[in-house]
Amino acid sequence: MSGRARARARGIARGPSPAEVGRTQASPQPTSVDLSDSEASSSSGFVGTSRISQTYEDSISSGDAGSAFMERGGKIRRDFMDLAVCTREKLAHVRDCKTGSSGIPVKLATNLFGLDLPQDWQLYQYHVTYIPDLESRRLRIALLYRHRELSNKAKAFDGVILFLSQKLEKKVTELSSETRRGETVKMTITLTRELPASSPVCIQVFNIIFKKILKKLSMYQIGRNFYKPSEPVEIPQHRLSLWPGFAVSVSHFESSLLFSADVSYKVLRHETVLEFMAGLCRRTGVSCFTQTCERQLIGLIVLTRYNNKTYRIDDIDWSVKPTHTFQRRDGTEVTYVDYYKQQYDIALSDLNQPVLVSLLKSKRNDNAEARLAHLIPELCFLTGLTDEATSDFQLMKAVAEETRLSPLGRQQRLARLADDIQRNKDARFELETWGLRFGCQMSLTGRVVPSEKILMQDHVCQPLSAADWFKDLRTCKILSTQPLNKWLVICSNRAGDATENFLNCLRRVGSSMGFNVDYPKIIKVQENPAAFLTSIQKHVGPDVQLVMCILPSNQKSYYESIKKYLSSDCPVASQCVLARTLNKQGILMSVATKIAMQMTCKLGGELWAVEIPLKSLMVVGIDVCKDAFNTGMVAVGFVASMNPRITRWFSRCILQRTTAGVADCLKVFMTGALNRWYKYNHGLPARIIVYRDGAGDGQLKTLIEYEVPQLLSSVTEANSDASSKLSVVVVRKKCMLRFFMEVNRTLQNPPLGTVVDSEATRFEWYDFYLISQVACRGTVNPTYYNVIYDDNALKPDHMQRLTFKLCHLYYNWPGLISIPAPCQYAHKLTFLVAQSIHKEPSLELANSLFYL
Amino acid sequence: MAENKTEFQCNGVVGGNFEAVRKKGIEFDPPLYKQRYFFVKDLVNQHKTKKVADLGCGDNTLLWILKIHSCAELLVGVDINDSVLHYSRNKLSPSWGDQLSPRDLDLTVTLYIGSAVERDSRLRGFDLITCIELIEHLNSEDLARFPEVVFGYFSPSMIVISTPNSEFNPLFPSGNALRDLDHKFEWNRMQFQTWALDVANRYNYSVEFTGVGEPPAGAENVGYCTQIGIFRKNEAKATELCISEQDDEHVYELFYTELYPSLQQEKVRKFVVLNEVYRQVYLMRRRFIKILDPLAASIFNSADCDPAKVEERRLLGPPMFTDARLAEIRLLGPPFTEAEKTEFILLGPAFTEAEKTKIVNSPKPFCVGNEFCVPLERLLAYPKVNRICDSIDTLKMYIADTVTLSSDGSAMKVDIPDHDDY
Repeated sequence: MSGRARARARGIARGPSPAEVGRTQASPQPTSVDLSDSEASSSSGFVGTSRISQTYEDSISSGDAGSAFMERGGKIRRDFMDLAVCTREKLAHVRDCKTGSSGIPVKLATNLFGLDLPQDWQLYQYHVTYIPDLESRRLRIALLYRHRELSNKAKAFDGVILFLSQKLEKKVTELSSETRRGETVKMTITLTRELPASSPVCIQVFNIIFKKILKKLSMYQIGRNFYKPSEPVEIPQHRLSLWPGFAVSVSHFESSLLFSADVSYKVLRHETVLEFMAGLCRRTGVSCFTQTCERQLIGLIVLTRYNNKTYRIDDIDWSVKPTHTFQRRDGTEVTYVDYYKQQYDIALSDLNQPVLVSLLKSKRNDNAEARLAHLIPELCFLTGLTDEATSDFQLMKAVAEETRLSPLGRQQRLARLADDIQRNKDARFELETWGLRFGCQMSLTGRVVPSEKILMQDHVCQPLSAADWFKDLRTCKILSTQPLNKWLVICSNRAGDATENFLNCLRRVGSSMGFNVDYPKIIKVQENPAAFLTSIQKHVGPDVQLVMCILPSNQKSYYESIKKYLSSDCPVASQCVLARTLNKQGILMSVATKIAMQMTCKLGGELWAVEIPLKSLMVVGIDVCKDAFNTGMVAVGFVASMNPRITRWFSRCILQRTTAGVADCLKVFMTGALNRWYKYNHGLPARIIVYRDGAGDGQLKTLIEYEVPQLLSSVTEANSDASSKLSVVVVRKKCMLRFFMEVNRTLQNPPLGTVVDSEATRFEWYDFYLISQVACRGTVNPTYYNVIYDDNALKPDHMQRLTFKLCHLYYNWPGLISIPAPCQYAHKLTFLVAQSIHKEPSLELANSLFYL
Repeated sequence: MAENKTEFQCNGVVGGNFEAVRKKGIEFDPPLYKQRYFFVKDLVNQHKTKKVADLGCGDNTLLWILKIHSCAELLVGVDINDSVLHYSRNKLSPSWGDQLSPRDLDLTVTLYIGSAVERDSRLRGFDLITCIELIEHLNSEDLARFPEVVFGYFSPSMIVISTPNSEFNPLFPSGNALRDLDHKFEWNRMQFQTWALDVANRYNYSVEFTGVGEPPAGAENVGYCTQIGIFRKNEAKATELCISEQDDEHVYELFYTELYPSLQQEKVRKFVVLNEVYRQVYLMRRRFIKILDPLAASIFNSADCDPAKVEERRLLGPPMFTDARLAEIRLLGPPFTEAEKTEFILLGPAFTEAEKTKIVNSPKPFCVGNEFCVPLERLLAYPKVNRICDSIDTLKMYIADTVTLSSDGSAMKVDIPDHDDY
């Protein structure tokens, strides 16, 4: 398919003619010529449409319904959409108090800063009309800003909607101004709304104010974050630059307006798109170069070196060369080569390169033809890391070493930012005119919940460290296991000796764990993926319990072909081990122990448990993961516990076509899980708690309106008289919040089990933060939980502790993990399906953790 | 470029044109301010001026346009209004692109708060000083002092002064009114030229008149909308003036100054060399692995893009090299010639014939154990490296503390990863 056809297929509006394309190219928006840039920057963050705002023209309302507030490009920032969702008011048991009380109080510093407003502060929203009507947004803004009446007031204006922090004298103000050409323009400014500081619209205005402030601190915006180009960290070995910066946001937390900031790094690569293409071409060969190239590049953000702007690659047009011409705005034809020479004094060296196509975001929120920009690969630098890069261990290690900040280091950066904001004359002035006061860093009190005991078969152990109890396990027997009698080992001829050696070791550690491993049938094959697969096909019979493959390299094709066959075509538990791993003599015992544990799980065994006080509880984890090859497909994973002890699991995964990442199949999955539960436990669970991971910004509403009802209807249908009680908790691994604990005058990460359920949470939600992972170096990332539906009405204390307990139950890691085990299982499952097998795994495997 | 676009240009009714244009208002495309800036840009490009100052730089748009020129070494903006400077300084700061692809020559951008009628020795000795739409904002007293300061004291090789041409004003809807409230006067061509010739004479400059913003058809006699005078210093006296007065008058307030990263800076040079070295070494290593891995090589060399066949080949692969052959390849280096040919035909910045020969003839990379070694001599053959490093020693100096060198220091070593998945 040609680039053009593909864009159509994807529903991207292409310019009607080359002239259109040329035009957008001819004026690559040199920032400089935007004369109103300085002024407009305050308002460019949002674009309202006259259509919407006119709704409010006649009456002054103070509500926030149908907020007409748009981000640049006409989109409402997605995380703002979540703010309008109020779930707590529907949950009677937490309406008055959602905080727990158990555990030891601990004083924590945060990355939140107070923002004080006068008591009676209000934001006044006005609608502005012009007579004669003016098309140019820039002119509209310039005329209004120049007017004496408004010149010294704090304001944000997008050409239609004007926000002021001080009310104008009259409800309708008529002003007139003269254009440079002497035309008189009448401006009518009509008050439409008075908004309290808590309104989501105000929150957006506050965010725009801070955007302006950070720009004044010489930071550049990329995406939502702000970076300082003057202080890069270079990693020449990987041809990367890291630009330090901040992610910031203003919002209403539990009781007050707060500014949050976290250190962020932007990765820039010292590689132009052309160099990347050349490298790719050499790797893939000419044959599938264009497809691979498009798969790798489309969607990436590039930075053009001549104007320092970022663009998203939406397409590649292989038919256009730099020697082709395009039409400039004034109608003249010019080649790309000449254009860049004249405009930017840049000589292009490769005249055969294709052009990248980027769909420009429309600044006006109208339905005007989408504009396209043609970009020359040679002049574009790649930003961010590709999948290929993120799977490069060395590279990620190098990046982590540079970006990992200790709590103290992070705190120092934050303090410097706060200091800069308070010291910078312009920044201070901006805040003052709006009536905002930048306050101090907030501290709060969290609680450390008690640590958990790990229950083994005949032993209860209190691990020395909840982060890793591998050592404590060695001497204990695991909860339950099936003996492994009939199984296959497939290895290459070269790996024969190492395999023998390893098997001995495996059987030894197996027996001490209580896992009986018989001697397998060993099949030696040639070193290629097809030979492995053929021998599996040949030797796997109905009574084979498990197939172990000793892979000669971690080339994806080995793993993928084996997993695909054994997960769906011929469902048998499989265990892949890299031959390289078996050669590490020193750690062979612990390697064997870990593999033995994985194999046990794959055969349906149970490793350990924690004490669960609720007697009839089913926990469910849901995650979604985008398919690596088929765009528009997502893998939805659903993992439900099958016994009250929460040690046995039922796992399902399907591939589903969707753009939003919302699960369609939850009713089927839930019903399936309840049926199984009924079969094993002779009754339905009294309580069900679902942990939903993988939801993006702005999806909260969809989850409540679309996913929760699916789950509910399945639960009520299962038993209409006394249906199980359902709770749904949204889990977020990434949040901007950070907590630090002061110890001996320095800062440390808070201990495992720290819960924060006040002040840094949101008033509208029943939410809490839990720290259940260790960060040996660097700052720990708390996990954020938002209970969006809760029939169980467990006390907040119990909900928090149960969640903490569930973080102990992931059998692939003998220690605490950052999210509840069912979520991690669901994640592991969807990852396998989306990355490797691209097929739904067989239902026959659903009772074991076959994907570990 | 200086075409103005009016609705009536094409209907050719000459008589009715003037009035119609008056009513409608004139729009220039590109806008007039851009035409003025492009005029200066072209001049800079033509004369390769190194030091340029813009008096009354306002929002710095002109400096922003000029800073892309490789010839620029010092760009100075002066304005009395510091609030405008505040808003626009970000625009002039070096950003991502300037770091990722540094300039060849140092460029310093400096902004001063000050007046065009005050002396400041830091503004002396420039190649070009521009006063775009400046003089009409000066009151008569300042206007009288202006030539003495700019021509007499700053005394650059070239001065560009632009100002509105009042003869054009009747074409605007507002008629003969001044174009901006802050304008103290607007001259017709005669007034400007008289003034300019007088000043030029006094300070030993020659002057040439032109303009931007062509009048619409039917009104050609009014001349350009903006009139421009280009003043060139008559050489003889130039040097003498520069040297004679050594007084350090620093009246302007330094508002902002920034040095752009450039290849003249050691740190940047080192960085650029390292980058290119890593890039080339990784490319060579990848090719090396390709050749060692017949499976990958077969995919690579095939022109067949049927995915099923590619997949099949991925799984089946051709017969392996024998161990003996592998050892031989490892020892002697891979058979490079064919691959080297493909290197140059594939996409990527083109090498010239001479560059190709130089690279192909330099010592070949080789393999020791699990380490891939590239002789420094070969790296030096790559033009981007060679441009900065004139010898092996310089190259070594730049890369030694970052890369791993072989024991004799003649080659750079990197590990060979045990797989190269794609």
